[in-house]
Amino acid sequence: MKIKVKKEAIIDGLQKVQSVINPRNALPVLSNVLFRAEDGKLELTATDMSMTIRATVEAEVIKPGATTLPAKRIFGVFRELNVDEATMEVSDDNIAFIKAGSYSSRIHGISETDYPSLPELEEPKTYTLDQGAFRNMLKLASYAASIDPNRPLLNGVFLHFNNNKLSVVATDSRRLALVEQEVDFPADAGMELIVPLKTIDELLRTMGDTGNLTILATPKQIAFQFDGVLVISKLTEGTYPNFRQVIPQGASNRVVLEREMLLAAIRRTSQLVIDAISGVKLMFTPNRLEILAAAPEIGEARESMDVKYKGPEITIAFNPTFLMDPLKALTTDEVYLDLVDDTNPGMIRSTINFVYVLMPIRIS
Amino acid sequence: MNAPASLSRVFLHVDMDAFYAAIEQRDHPEYRGKPLVVGAPRDQRGVVSTASYEARKYGIHSAMPSREAARRCPHAIFVPVDMRRYEEVSARVFAILGQYTPYVEGLSIDEAFLDVTGSRQLYGSGPEIARRIKDDIKNQLGLTCSIGVAPNKFLAKLGSEFQKPDGLTVLPATRPAIMEFLRPLPVTRLWGVGKVTRQALDRAGLHVIGDIQEASLQRLTQAVGAHAAAHLHALACGDDSREIELDVREKTISREHTFLRDERNRSAVDAMLIHLVEDVARRLRADGRRATGGRLKIRWKNFETFTRQKAFPRPTRMEADLQAMAQHLFKKITLTQPVRLIGFGVTGLVESQHSQQLELFEPPDEVRVKKENLDRTVDHIRATYGPDAIRRARHLPPPEK
Repeated sequence: MKIKVKKEAIIDGLQKVQSVINPRNALPVLSNVLFRAEDGKLELTATDMSMTIRATVEAEVIKPGATTLPAKRIFGVFRELNVDEATMEVSDDNIAFIKAGSYSSRIHGISETDYPSLPELEEPKTYTLDQGAFRNMLKLASYAASIDPNRPLLNGVFLHFNNNKLSVVATDSRRLALVEQEVDFPADAGMELIVPLKTIDELLRTMGDTGNLTILATPKQIAFQFDGVLVISKLTEGTYPNFRQVIPQGASNRVVLEREMLLAAIRRTSQLVIDAISGVKLMFTPNRLEILAAAPEIGEARESMDVKYKGPEITIAFNPTFLMDPLKALTTDEVYLDLVDDTNPGMIRSTINFVYVLMPIRIS
Repeated sequence: MNAPASLSRVFLHVDMDAFYAAIEQRDHPEYRGKPLVVGAPRDQRGVVSTASYEARKYGIHSAMPSREAARRCPHAIFVPVDMRRYEEVSARVFAILGQYTPYVEGLSIDEAFLDVTGSRQLYGSGPEIARRIKDDIKNQLGLTCSIGVAPNKFLAKLGSEFQKPDGLTVLPATRPAIMEFLRPLPVTRLWGVGKVTRQALDRAGLHVIGDIQEASLQRLTQAVGAHAAAHLHALACGDDSREIELDVREKTISREHTFLRDERNRSAVDAMLIHLVEDVARRLRADGRRATGGRLKIRWKNFETFTRQKAFPRPTRMEADLQAMAQHLFKKITLTQPVRLIGFGVTGLVESQHSQQLELFEPPDEVRVKKENLDRTVDHIRATYGPDAIRRARHLPPPEK
């Protein structure tokens, strides 16, 4: 194999794939990136056996072929090049010779025949979405997923394709984020998928804001195709909790708040919160919100702001991180906070199709 | 909080004499001067809790099967344990102890360590304080106790055991005199020496405390291991640096039941388990803390015993959570043999947190609060009208046909 490739292109491709590599994997070949050159392009593939990412970059293919090279080293080599273009020639015994300007190097690789083959999806359902819109949905929901390894079902984001609608859900059992969007697909193509958080993080990192996204899904695997990138991931097996039942349906009192102002105020007051169960107290009176954080032996902080509110006086405590997460993910100027009392869940909504349900901290 | 450090410390060990039996004899003049056994009835399984000194003359002692006690002394009087009354009397004993020093460490219902180092200016020397405590307990409660006075906890306890009942033993305060005093005593008098350690020491030719005083640390280590060797050597020389531990609250609450006849019927064992869990839940609520784990204990007919335990998803004191845990643990057990004993306990008790993150997928708060209220109401009914005033349906006797 012999190629001529732009430094920028190969750096971009390696950055997209190499983060999937598990530094503690047992097989040396899994620390390598698979290089395959053919038809005027270079394919770069990396995997941790649960997830595989393949990126395609432009290259001048002088002689097609394939090999695997140690990911960290090859990335370092290209990153530090002082010229824009390099040639790479790989011998039959998998030694890569790289030349760029006055620089040259020789790197030992491992045969591509030792590299695991790309997982194949059998009879997948296919969905086509707007890439930026889907990325935004993940951004609005994924932070609510659980990182507790004892709850594997909640260590992922739930994608529910149903009735020409995609629902994206994440919860750690204390708060839940749900965002929905219309999507066209055949009526018989409904599916329920739990995508592991690591895959979601890779998608958020590699996906762009424009262009199409194709999702292929079987009950056990999912593939995302966008911008010359292919991400294939195992799905978490099991039944996701019935999230609809925890979304409050009854009457509540709505507070209208300025998002950035609220976020900044909670950030300031929460500097004096010492642990996850102490929380910040929100005291709502007509058109006024007072925020209080207090920790014994440390001190207390107060903040107040104007809000739009006509309901009864309510005092409710929340974990400040849980409160700030959706405010950071949203981009609207205003948010709505719907409250019942101090022990029922609060709900954050926005002008878009977004619901965030948050359980309070009970203070006795 | 520890008691103030001082070069010459004075500790007391106060041990009530045959506590349960003495209370029964005090309250029932007809029992006085007679062999009395507090514990399981003479013709049933179960053991002696306390024997009066008159009964001890027949070789009856705590933890002996009641049937054996009845065989040794057929005319002994057997009375059941009345824990509530003993607890009330115990509280009055501790109230008296607390008048002489704030440094009181209760070891059990009828036993305590006191550090009276700082009390001497007010109440006199160690032996004088011990005498005043004995007088107070006798005059106010009509009971006797034995007290040891010594420069540390180990020696004080040794002292109270030295002369019983109604004893007052003052141990020497200088090291040579202490070593001399300890020299002829058997090794079992050392704190921490039970059957296994005694056998190990015996095999090494170490029979009395003097042998340990003179033994090299190497020889001791060979006999009992390095950790125990250092501990035993210090004690044998009368050294013990343990301080009074205040407010040592128990970390577990448990109940167990020995069946009258080994039980083969799973649902009978289950019914007893539910009953035990009910009681553990009641005591947990009275304690006010929450449990982080549950533990099930089973002893088979052949005395083989094992336990199964598991943590609660979050600290709880709700009876429903305890019952679910007990059932979860019990379901995993196959009754391969008849059951002699079943027990349930809660572990890792923690203070109730002042605040709590509520959960989305758990029953709404009102349901939990209602359940806790229900539990408390049941407690209240039982406290007012007796333990049988309200029962689970499965504990009712079967309908007569």
